Amino acid sequence: MTVLNPAGPVSARHTLWDAPKKACVSVVELAASLNPLVLNRLREMGLEPGQPLICLGRGPFNGPVVVQIQDCVYTLEQQVAQHILIEPQL
Amino acid sequence: MKKIVLVGKPNSGKSLLFNQLTGLRQKVANYPGVTVELKSGRFEQFELIDYPGAYSLSSLSRDEEIAVNKLKDALQDPNTALVICNLDATRLESSLMFGLQVQALARAHHKALVFALNMADELQRFGHQLDTAALSAALGSPVFAISAKTLLGIHEFREGVLALAQAAEPAVPALDHGDEQALRQFSRSLARTYGLASSVVLKNQNRIDRFMLHNLSGGLAFLLVMFLLFQSIFTLAAPLMDAVEAGIGALAHWVTGFIGEGTTSDFLNDAIFGGVGSFLVFVPQIMMLTLIIGLLEDSGYLARAALICHRPLSYFGLSGRSFIPYLSGHACAIPAIMAARTIESPRKRLITMMTIPLMACSARLPVYALLISVLIPERAYLGGLVNLQGVAFFGLYLMGIIVALLVSLMLSRFVVSRDEKSDMPFILELPNYRLPHWKPLIVRVMSAAKSFVYRSGPVIFAVTVLIWLFGYFPHDAGGLEHSYLGQIGHFIEPVFEPLGLDWRYGVAILMSFLAREVFVGALGTLFGIDGADENIAGLAANIQADGLALGAGVGLLLFYVVALQCVATVATIRAETGSNRIAAGLVVGYGLLAYALACLAANLL
Repeated sequence: MTVLNPAGPVSARHTLWDAPKKACVSVVELAASLNPLVLNRLREMGLEPGQPLICLGRGPFNGPVVVQIQDCVYTLEQQVAQHILIEPQL
Repeated sequence: MKKIVLVGKPNSGKSLLFNQLTGLRQKVANYPGVTVELKSGRFEQFELIDYPGAYSLSSLSRDEEIAVNKLKDALQDPNTALVICNLDATRLESSLMFGLQVQALARAHHKALVFALNMADELQRFGHQLDTAALSAALGSPVFAISAKTLLGIHEFREGVLALAQAAEPAVPALDHGDEQALRQFSRSLARTYGLASSVVLKNQNRIDRFMLHNLSGGLAFLLVMFLLFQSIFTLAAPLMDAVEAGIGALAHWVTGFIGEGTTSDFLNDAIFGGVGSFLVFVPQIMMLTLIIGLLEDSGYLARAALICHRPLSYFGLSGRSFIPYLSGHACAIPAIMAARTIESPRKRLITMMTIPLMACSARLPVYALLISVLIPERAYLGGLVNLQGVAFFGLYLMGIIVALLVSLMLSRFVVSRDEKSDMPFILELPNYRLPHWKPLIVRVMSAAKSFVYRSGPVIFAVTVLIWLFGYFPHDAGGLEHSYLGQIGHFIEPVFEPLGLDWRYGVAILMSFLAREVFVGALGTLFGIDGADENIAGLAANIQADGLALGAGVGLLLFYVVALQCVATVATIRAETGSNRIAAGLVVGYGLLAYALACLAANLL
């Protein structure tokens, strides 16, 4: 992935990629290192600070995460999911 | 003619609405190299144009960008009378963001806009009442709750659209909802007031997905679906293909009987009915494949299949979305290359298109069947459970996939695109599971068949005629061996010598660069058997009697696994990539690799 941050994930923990199955979390922030176009699309999908998410699981073979955002279910690959910082929902 | 523009999010019933408004009279305009498909049809006195489904007006990929630019062009067109924005009524929150973007664009271009909240029948099913009047007032544009599937509210919608499109003063959206940030907040608050709770909409979908995406049950379901798909491509299409073949045969018989013997009759029989006819035989298979993939797509499963395959494919520089084109490639590379349009990253799309020709398409079947029955003894093991020839078949299919993955891996390392947008990540919406609707499916199947014939027909026709002329003349010289083609064959014989093959194989291989299946027929003619296509066993015996070394035979098989021998595929790659260099490069590259492998086999075995 040449476009994304070459330094790797923003944080080893608390990213959407590491969220456990069935966890209800909310978005803290999207890493600024994401490609601006991708960043924009994620925002349009509803991924903004404070937005609640439900992690529905993973694809087989440790595949992309499946996550419910608003009234849609999306699948995001690791390179995107690990740039989305989350915290457990209060 | 005045135009009405239809836009909307994918999976929101837009195609169905388009079909309901226009009937089945529609045409699909393909823009080769642009990969944007615009459908247009007649709605009363207007031309209704269906724009590709988009998630947003700020595009992620090149395809989306072009789609959005086309939409902006349409809004500048003074002939555009109205914009219909089709949204999913059950998912207002995610739909309205796009809706508000389109509304702002229409407002900026001083165009009338109407919202169609499609799939309102599902709202009813959930017992939800949508206050369209209040929503319309809040949005500042007319809103209709409809269902293109059950025709709920369609009559009122038609009349509303006609009135709006005919109005002297366009109903330009009255309110300005602010910038992107404001639009996002506004769409959220509207959804909260008028929409259905997401837990209600997604309940069934999430329940099915718990099974379909589960490590074990999801994997098994995936394998089962693939097995059924493969089975039906080969078994369900077979009787149709036989029927087409028989039909062409009967037509040939009738026409040539009418004309009598001579050059004209030979030409019609060999070049037209034999050459062009053998290509038409694949049309039913393409239709069947389009139908099944359409069923899977409309049911919502295809997105799950792409998700399941994403991880394994990403090791080879491909995307989960490469899976479907690869799958289609086992029937025919042409629709498969077109199906690669759905891949979000142009780079991965290019790699996918470049490796699709390695999938064991149905045209390779007769060649494999012939050579396997020449080389591999018919022996069964484990009480008939394992058949040696069957294992060889499976091995050849597998080899095609393995070579494709290895080539992908190499290409992904070396094909460096400067396009900033070329490495878009895999982000995919998992749509709701739905029962497919037959109408758009039929239209899709027919248009796939039509575009296959129109796209490839002329090229195949031209090359067939050319090859026939070279093989037929000079006519009195004494058969194929002394024809121009025979002379060429002797001339090129040194090229095929390192492969352990004589000039007859050379000519057959050369001719099969038109289409692989030509190999069997050509070799049959050269070995003096009529109707070799139908009589593979007889030809196999003849070749065995003639003596084909094991190494040379295996080399020949390897050659057919790798070589790109299909004029129609090359033409499609050229059209889809817009590059002569890629198309020619693939023919040469795969040709050299095939030659090297065959050479290796001939000398080592």
